[in-house]
Amino acid sequence: MATKKKQTPNLQNDSWVVIAADSVIDTQKNDSDPAFVRLRNPSTDAASLYMLSSGDVQLFEVKAFEEDFHSWFVGQTVQRDGRLLFLTPMDPLYLILPYLMTSGKEGKFQPVDQVVMDEEFPACSRLLSLTRSLAFLHHIAEEKEVGKLKFHRYNQEKTMNWLKKKVERTVAMLKARSISVGEGVKSITYIRVKSDSDYHEEDYLRYAHGLISQYLSEDLSKALLDHLQLPELTSPKETEPPSKKRKLSDKPVEAGEDYTKFNSADFVRKPSKKMTAAQKSLAKVDKTGMKTMSSFFSPKAKAENK
Amino acid sequence: MSCNTSVTRVDVSSVGQAQRAPVHLLPCEIEHNGPAQVSQYLTATTKDCKLEKTVSFRGRGLKGQELSCPQGYTGLVLKEINKPGSDQEDRTVKVSSVFDKLTYWNLETPPNSDDTIVMAMDWPELAEAIHGPVED
Repeated sequence: MATKKKQTPNLQNDSWVVIAADSVIDTQKNDSDPAFVRLRNPSTDAASLYMLSSGDVQLFEVKAFEEDFHSWFVGQTVQRDGRLLFLTPMDPLYLILPYLMTSGKEGKFQPVDQVVMDEEFPACSRLLSLTRSLAFLHHIAEEKEVGKLKFHRYNQEKTMNWLKKKVERTVAMLKARSISVGEGVKSITYIRVKSDSDYHEEDYLRYAHGLISQYLSEDLSKALLDHLQLPELTSPKETEPPSKKRKLSDKPVEAGEDYTKFNSADFVRKPSKKMTAAQKSLAKVDKTGMKTMSSFFSPKAKAENK
Repeated sequence: MSCNTSVTRVDVSSVGQAQRAPVHLLPCEIEHNGPAQVSQYLTATTKDCKLEKTVSFRGRGLKGQELSCPQGYTGLVLKEINKPGSDQEDRTVKVSSVFDKLTYWNLETPPNSDDTIVMAMDWPELAEAIHGPVED
């Protein structure tokens, strides 16, 4: 690898390029503005950035797509930070689930507003206002009504069935879009293939399971694997270099150039290294616990790191 | 930990005044934030061919392609006008520009469907599969 030029940290970053669902900027019904909030990430248990829409109606996930050595031109200005952020609608049940599971250990039916509370992340109680929260709690919990009051208790079997449907939806989408899910793809990113007949149902299931697991605790991810009747992998494929499988380009590049990264298939795995140093000094809105796009598309990385 | 309580508001009313700006993603890091003569030195010399755009930027040949935002999505450039003094204060960002397509540039490599930015545009559809409501 070429020696890297020392870089100055990007301290003055004050703008972000975002691709947002149209509903983010649609505030006709409410007068409040949408806002970025920090909530507990169900997979990492640490803070991540999410967005609550105007009037706390809808939840959005914030995902950063990043490649090394990129910057933007916006109009007649340079923006050094070359990341592209996506704001996409998110199912709030993924975030509510850990709270219900914790309280479910007591085995009692409880009012959810007493369960979905977090001293560290006070915004989490706002999750219950979302249109897709209370109305869909029955996917993950038993309900009991006493008078006008509703009580809930976490239910593993319901949750597994709900998650299985999520996996099936995702499998259907992957097939429809002919997204490659085979071994060797995982550490690069996903790719399109012309024919998907090479892939087996199990490849799709595992891939979709990996995608969904980005929103689950480790235990729940394992339980889901069981529920899908997929044995845990002991990953003998580790020996195969992922870059061997495919390269984005086989064009020769001049030695000693930083730009080699653009032609090698593994450059998308790099951001985490660079991000940590730079991120610390960055303004808050764009850092906390956000996963990079590339980490998202390597669903099995979590399991293999063990 | 207290910074978890602060929120960053997006001033949506600013969308109305936001300009439509051409947006380019460049294959290099430019250690600068601020004005640049983009139309004079990049846009003016860009050649539009059938399959790709080409331009010479700082003596290097770039090959680029225009990408549209996914359906149902809008490109926004958010800008923070006043930075707060501490990390516990709430913050506000404005929408300074909007776009419905962007141009990304590769160094030498012709743009193709395996480019990571092209694949990133599939993310909203994949997210819909993962996050859309499931039936009972």
